[in-house]
Amino acid sequence: MLALAAGAVLWLVAAYALWHSTAAVPAGPSLSPHRFFSDSFLRSSSSYERFLTIDGLLGMVVLVVVLAVYARRGHRLMGESAAGRVGTGMMLGMLGFAVVWLAELPFGLAAVWWERGHDVSHQGYLEWALGSFLSLGGTFLFVAAALAIAMGLAGWLGRWWWLAAAPAFAGLALLFTLLSPYLIPDTSPLRGPALRADARALARREGVAGARFVVERVDRFTTAPNAEATGFGPTKTVVLWNTLLGDDFRRAEIRTVLAHEIAHLAHRDPLNEVGWIALFLLPATGLIELLTRRRGGLARPEAVPVALLVLIALQLLATPAFNLVSRRVEASADWSAVEATHEPAAARAAFRRLSTTSKGSPDPPAWSQLLYGTHPTIMQRIEMTYAWERAHP
Amino acid sequence: MELGITAANERPVRLTVSDDLRRGHGSVFFRFWFALPFLLWLSLWGVAAFFVAIVNWFATLIQGSSPPALHGFLARFVRLGVHVHAYLFLAAEQLPRFDGRPGYPIDVEIDPPARQNRWTVGFRIVLVVPVLILLGAFFSSGSNFNSTEGGFQGGGLVFAAAFLGWFVGVVRGWMPRGLRDLVAYGISYAAQGWAYMLLLTDRYPSSDPLTAIGPLPVRDDPVVLETTDDLARNRLTVFFRLLLAIPHIVWLALWGVVAFFAAIGNWFATLFGGAAPQGLHRFLARYMRYQAHVGAYVYLVGNPFPGFTGEQGSYPVELRIAERAPQNRWKVGFRIVLALPALMIASAYGTLLFAIALLGWFASLFTGRMPLGLRNAGALGLRYSAQFYGYVFLVTDAYPYSGPALAPPAVPAAA
Repeated sequence: MLALAAGAVLWLVAAYALWHSTAAVPAGPSLSPHRFFSDSFLRSSSSYERFLTIDGLLGMVVLVVVLAVYARRGHRLMGESAAGRVGTGMMLGMLGFAVVWLAELPFGLAAVWWERGHDVSHQGYLEWALGSFLSLGGTFLFVAAALAIAMGLAGWLGRWWWLAAAPAFAGLALLFTLLSPYLIPDTSPLRGPALRADARALARREGVAGARFVVERVDRFTTAPNAEATGFGPTKTVVLWNTLLGDDFRRAEIRTVLAHEIAHLAHRDPLNEVGWIALFLLPATGLIELLTRRRGGLARPEAVPVALLVLIALQLLATPAFNLVSRRVEASADWSAVEATHEPAAARAAFRRLSTTSKGSPDPPAWSQLLYGTHPTIMQRIEMTYAWERAHP
Repeated sequence: MELGITAANERPVRLTVSDDLRRGHGSVFFRFWFALPFLLWLSLWGVAAFFVAIVNWFATLIQGSSPPALHGFLARFVRLGVHVHAYLFLAAEQLPRFDGRPGYPIDVEIDPPARQNRWTVGFRIVLVVPVLILLGAFFSSGSNFNSTEGGFQGGGLVFAAAFLGWFVGVVRGWMPRGLRDLVAYGISYAAQGWAYMLLLTDRYPSSDPLTAIGPLPVRDDPVVLETTDDLARNRLTVFFRLLLAIPHIVWLALWGVVAFFAAIGNWFATLFGGAAPQGLHRFLARYMRYQAHVGAYVYLVGNPFPGFTGEQGSYPVELRIAERAPQNRWKVGFRIVLALPALMIASAYGTLLFAIALLGWFASLFTGRMPLGLRNAGALGLRYSAQFYGYVFLVTDAYPYSGPALAPPAVPAAA
């Protein structure tokens, strides 16, 4: 009990430290979205997002229901394996995700239909389904590896497997983060000399001069613009979607996006993310151990379907908390971006354009933001630029 | 091999083999030119058969069975096709006759007209698509699977067997039984396929190698495939089969890197020691077993998810690998060169396995069972592949046997 209490205190201290490793951003003045967006856009974006939100929620409900049924009955599929304890567990884990994929397929197709109807996606239904099916292979490989580790440790360490598994998984997450820039398909170096010069100057200013800048080709699937910062140390990379580099965005606006992603690297956000994953994994794996005991613990393959349900349920429950952390991290990167460029007007224009090109609502309802909001709303981001101007008269 | 045998004599289209394997050096050398007039004649007959087949389709659809005159004409056409192809692909030595009369060393017996299911007659053109796919795997002349991008390669089995048989025939004046039987197997399937397409029967062609060509040789090879699989397939695991196999494929690739270096070590050790060291033999045999398990799973020859260790007796599609034995050092020294013809056959079997997996996937998904013929054909392909690797890895110096064969029952080890 004492050890548990000590562990909980340590966990809280680590969470506190991680939370405060990201600087808080001053809130901006409350502004009306009508000042920046037309009425018709606000109406259409709200309707666009409502459908996707409901579709996503329904998909989530189906996910939980399917996994609950699988947790009850999945062990019957053990007869389909000749692979021994760990191998059978791996198969059951993969089949769990296979069943989830099948159940969620209609919701995915509905989302594609909606996005196609709004000219956000260019993907055909079959193309999307096939791509989704094939990407399931990656999920299977990940699940099989994770279960091999967890079940191997459970066979070796008994009830205390999770104390070794959580750091092992965190280590793998770290490795994955390190290698992730090289796992993104269809990338090429950033070519435009002006943008390259902007990127280099911003990276130097933020102290991440060694960062790579690449462009990912996504225009075959979507028209939505995006960018990401990934990797750390020698692999730190900024990935810009090629949809961002078309005619829609001006150079100053792209500079804002670049500065935002460079800020992530400067703040070591990819590493912090691994820290949060580690913090999640420790209690999650402990709970899995506790809740799979009735099936003989995770050393037994029949416990795997239950473990899947527990893991996914915990992940869903933790989503609002993860989103809260993510919004703080993104807000901090936004602030640093304007600090680096000194172009709040360009940032406002970029945020507006992000909203209009992705058809996303600039001011979604609070509950939607709680469940899905990994970034501050577009309005909050615009308000932030005014807060920056106020702080730098 | 325990592969579940259906009675060949119950089939309405049966291949008979009375060839004695002897070949004339010259007749083999000029085989294509000798066969050319027959091929031209067969083509002309084919044009006529095409129109007769259309009439036969209407007639069979209306009266429920093929009219005897049409049936006789088309049966003779199929028989002539069997004779000409057997001659061309070196499965027989005699020149065939132009009239398709019975009595050729590789011949086909076709039952007289019988009642046929009108639904299967009506949709015959659709139902033959899987047959055509398998026929492609048997008779394609080259690599057609995305070869320009370096994708899956390999010609048809019959072409590969005839190509190799040509060299043996020219030099030694005989056709190896394995290659002859392999050609006969392909021709047997083609005969059934054509008979089905031309409405001579409504029995779907069987790709079962065990019943394709009459009595098979019983061979006690050092690498034997045994299967105790019951043909039942779980639809969920069938649907996701390839994805479920991904961890195995990754593990097989990693293990394969080690096996590659182990095989090099084994080559040196066997060359100097005259026999594979016990440790390397066991390691490579285990890798081969694992490879067979994964292959069986991917190609739907087996149903359960295999283990990751290649443990003996852990899978219903299992390899029996003989203990190490002394090997001829000359054969060891030139193993890579000697294995090249076998590689050609193994590659052709790869094409067949690919077709089997594709067709078996649909069949298993709809019926929950793997058709016996496809399963046994897949097992044959896996057996050959295992024998090929056993030869290349110097686990044995027995050359892979390319034709279908039976294995003697396993003798339980003495206590």
